[in-house]
Parts: sequence; structure tokens; C-alpha cells
Amino acid sequence: MGKKSLIVLILILCFGLFIAGCPKKTVVKEEPSFRKAEEQAVAEREKAAKLEAEKAARERELARIREEEVKKAKEEEAKKAKEKEFEKSLVAKREPGITGEVFESKMLKDIHFDFDKYDIRSQDGEILKENASLLMKHPSVKIQIEGHCDERGTNEYNLALGERRANAAKKYLIALGLSADRISTISYGEERPADPGHNEEAWATNRRDHFVILSK
Amino acid sequence: MLSYFFLLVSLLFLVFIPFVEARVYLDINAPTFVQIPIVLLKWKGVNKTPPALPVKVYEILANDLVLSGFFKVIDYQYLPNSLQGKEGIPPIDSLREWMSAGGEILLAGETSWEPGGQNLKLKFHLFDLVEQKHIVGKQYEGHHQVLRKMVHRMADEVVLQLTGERGVNNTKIAYVALQGGSKEIFIADFDGADVKPITQNRSINLSPAWSPDGKRIAFTSYLRRNPDLYLIDLEGQNLQGLSSYPGLNASPSWSPDGKKIVLMMGMEGKSDIFLIDADGRNPKKLTTGHGNEASPTWSPDGKQIAFVSDRAGSPQIYVMRTDGSDVRRLTFEGNYNTNPSWSPKGDRIAFCGRVEARYDIFTVGVDGSGLQRLTSNSGNNESPSWSPDGRYIAFSSTRYGGSKIFTMNANGFNQRPLTSGKGGESSPAWSRLFE
Repeated sequence: MGKKSLIVLILILCFGLFIAGCPKKTVVKEEPSFRKAEEQAVAEREKAAKLEAEKAARERELARIREEEVKKAKEEEAKKAKEKEFEKSLVAKREPGITGEVFESKMLKDIHFDFDKYDIRSQDGEILKENASLLMKHPSVKIQIEGHCDERGTNEYNLALGERRANAAKKYLIALGLSADRISTISYGEERPADPGHNEEAWATNRRDHFVILSK
Repeated sequence: MLSYFFLLVSLLFLVFIPFVEARVYLDINAPTFVQIPIVLLKWKGVNKTPPALPVKVYEILANDLVLSGFFKVIDYQYLPNSLQGKEGIPPIDSLREWMSAGGEILLAGETSWEPGGQNLKLKFHLFDLVEQKHIVGKQYEGHHQVLRKMVHRMADEVVLQLTGERGVNNTKIAYVALQGGSKEIFIADFDGADVKPITQNRSINLSPAWSPDGKRIAFTSYLRRNPDLYLIDLEGQNLQGLSSYPGLNASPSWSPDGKKIVLMMGMEGKSDIFLIDADGRNPKKLTTGHGNEASPTWSPDGKQIAFVSDRAGSPQIYVMRTDGSDVRRLTFEGNYNTNPSWSPKGDRIAFCGRVEARYDIFTVGVDGSGLQRLTSNSGNNESPSWSPDGRYIAFSSTRYGGSKIFTMNANGFNQRPLTSGKGGESSPAWSRLFE
């Protein structure tokens, strides 16, 4: 080998060492093909990420939709169950001396009255609202409101009082949106007590409107 | 069957000595009166009359006289020994003998019946022991199956002779009684005998009201799941629907001429007083305003109707003309006055008034004056109904526990239960006088 090639080798070696030993500096001058590759890689990564994000979003959306569907289905089921509950709650009632059969349900609650009065108290208004909402869900149901009194006082005047009590509830339900042809009334005066006792408690229980279902 | 018996009844009046006595034995218009002591001789059976028969006649007659409230009956068994065994009609010159018996009046009689025969004869004589005179004698003849009725007729005559007005032993009282879980309508004789059901439909049956001819009873029933008005005969047959408007058709009262009925009707959403024809047609509303109207009752002259209204805030007795005009309030004391019943004499109205927590029977003059309380400290007393002569009132009372029908004189005296049943009785309605 000549001296010239030896110097070139040493120079290359030094250059090599220099490269190897140099702290990494920002490369001012990039290789265009490398940069392109980088960009491509980044773009591809971004694209992939975007796709991932979109996929995730779609999946979340699907999940949300499924969740909603499940929720709706559950609500439907619950509603049907409640409807069934109402239907299941109907108990037929027959009395030997009174024609026809009616149904009673614990879901249609009685309301009560103060002594000698027939106005609807606020707590009974709330019960009537619940009864109304139940009846709105079952639009084919027809009811009869029975007006009752406690045993005190004369039978005939109590017939009049019971008539008022039944009609007061009817008016209230109509104002809440039920149609009048679904509701009939009857007064039993003091003739059909719910509690046969002769004390304040029994009397308070007996001053009531009771709801029966005439037809489903 | 009953019509057969009534067809066979023939009552023969044979007056032996005309009644000319002017002496007043009993002033029944006095607010209180002393009962007339009357000696009742052992009843005699003549010819082949079975001995049980005069005993029965005596029983029914003595009871009728006691029930009337006008007499203190001196039973022959409590007479001095020398007089006890005497039976039948004493000769007039022997009346002195009876002075020691303690009575002012003597009643004696006899019965004759051929066993197997149809008719029996009943004969009685009344004597004034104070003036030692004969007052009257009469004879009745009728089918033996209407014995009770004949004795009642006889007792009514005794009451007429001694008080100036015929008795009411020959009347009936309709009422409501609990039977199992239902309320049925029954009728009973004034002495509580011969209780008969008029309804047996196991429903709720209320407020019986006699037609003026005494042949039918109007009442309210929940048979068809509505308080409807019906008519039925005294055998409980021939049920006829009168009024079945939606709502109440309740508490009927007949006009004296039997052509109209006044009642409570609820077809307009609250109870009002309506008039209908006796066949149920042409309903006409009589009351106006926003009150609750109840319990109408017709006046005996057919011109007015008394009823209950709470138009002034509490239930009170009002009176109006039969066209609904000229409404005036009758009661002003207490805050609960209901159940008016108009006396057949026309001058007073009986009603139920609440005093503190109890219900009692009152009467008041038709002009609102002369308020009189007839019951007190005796449970709850409701639903007064006058006898056809206006001298008695039937009502319900809980004084012995359950509700029972009672009768009393119109001044409140002599309150006694009608039947021996166990209770659950209410709403009495007194019939007309039967022949």
C-alpha cells in the first residue's frame, strides 16, 4: 500500500471516530428519503390511530345503542309486567244480592274523608293522581266509584253524603284527564262498612271512596 | 191464601145498648195522663169451645190494652179470691161486687166456636164501675183463622169508647232487619206478632213506605247494583220497578191520595228531592241550590213536604210546598236534625236530632214552635214514624245493644220494643188502620 491510501484510511478512521465520538447534534441536513419514510411512518401511525379511534367510537356508539335497547326492552318488560301486575291484581267480587261481577285491585287505592265532609283532602288528591295514572295506562278499563260513610247518623242522609263523596272523586279524576264515560258512581251510604267496629278508627276507615272495575 | 181468609171474614156488629155516656174517661190530648185502671175478667168459652181459645183471646186482648198505654190492666188472676173464678159477662146488678177490684172500668166477654167449624163469635161488654152502668157491648163474627185480627178490632173499639178515638191494634209496622249480610224488609202486627218477610233477595233493601191503601210497599234496593225504587205487595210478590235513574232513587214517601211519590234522586250528581208519578214516570225536581237534600215526607193534607237539607251548612228540617216553592226552615237548635215524619193529625213533625254524640227523637209544631224531646239517655234513637191516628210513634233504638224497633205514645210515654227479635232492625214505617 502506498502512503496515500494509508492517509485516506487514517482519515476515514478519524472521521469514523469523530462520528462515533460526536455528541448527537440536530441533523441540519436530512436525507430526503429517510424523512419521507419518517413522515410516512408518522402518517401511517396517525392514520392507524385515527382508525382505531373511529373504531372505538363506533364500538362505543354500538354499545350505547345496545345499552339503550336493553334499557328500553327492560322498560317494556317492566311496563308489561306492571300491566300484567295490574291484571294479576284483579280479584273478582260477587255479592249474592247484587247482580253482576266487579273486580277489585289493591293497586287502586281508597281515599278517605273527614267526618260529615266530602271534599278531597290534599293527601287523597295524591292518591287520586296515582289512581289516574294507573288508569291512563289501561285505557279500556271502566271503573265505578263507591261512596261510603261511617255508621253514625241517619241512613238516608248518609246516602246523600256517599253520593257526594263518589262524585267529588269523579270530578277530580276527570280534571286529571280521564274521560267521564269511563267512570260511574254509586252511593252505599253507611250500608257497606269496611270495618265493622264501633270506634273512631273503624269510622275513619269507613268514610271512604272505594274503586271497583266494571270491565277490563 | 190470606185473601181467602179475608173473603171469609164477616164482621157482624150487634149493639146491645147504645152508648150515651158523656163522661170523659181519658183526656188523650193532655201532655201526661193517668192510666185508666181496667179490670179484665176471665174470658168465657161457650158451647163446645176448646178451653185454649178463650185463654188466647184474653192474652191478645190484655196485651193490646197494655200496649195502647192508656190502661192499667187488672188481670183477673190478681183479683180477690171471691172474684177470680168469675168469667163471662156479669149481670149489671152485680157490679157492686167489683168495687174492691180497684178498677174504674170492667171488661168481660165470651167466645164461641164449633171445632171444625169456620166461624167463631166474639162478644164483649164494657162497664163503668164508678157509676155502675153498662157502657157498650158488641159482637164480632169471623173466620177462626183471623182470630188475632178480630181481637185487635175489639181492643180498638174499647180504646174508642174510653178515649174518644179508635185504637191502632189493627195496624202493621214495616221495617228493615239484618239477615246474614243483607238487609231485608219485614212487616209485623202492632203487637209484634205475625212477622212476615216482604223481601228475601239477599241484597240491601231500605226505607219501606206504605201506599195509602195499605196494599203495597215502596222501597229502595241494590238488586241491580244501583239504589233503585221498587214496589211490592204484602205477600212479597209482584215486584215492580218504579225508578232506576243512575244515582240514588231512595227514601220514598207517598202523597195521601196515592197518586205521587216524593223521593231522593241523585241523577244530577248530588241528592235532590224529586216528585214522580206513582208509576214512576215524569220525574220533576223540587229542590234547587247546592245543598244535599234528603228524607222527604208528605203532609197529611197533601199540600206540603218536609225534608232534610244542609243548604245552610248542617242538616236541618225544612218544609216546602209540593211544587218546591215557599221553602222555610223548621229546626234551629243543634247541628244535625234529620228523618222528619209528619203527624197524621197535621200539627206536629217528629224527627231525629243529634245532641252531643247521641241521637234522639223530637217533635216540633209545624210552625216551628213547641219543640219537645221524647228520648234521652237511651242509646241512639232514629227514624220516627207516626201511627195513623197520630197518637203513637215507632222508632229504632239501640238502648238494649243492637238496633230494635220501639213504639211509644206521642208524648214519649210507654216506650217498649215491638218484636222480641235479636236486633239489627231499623227504619220503621207504620201502616194505615186496617178494617
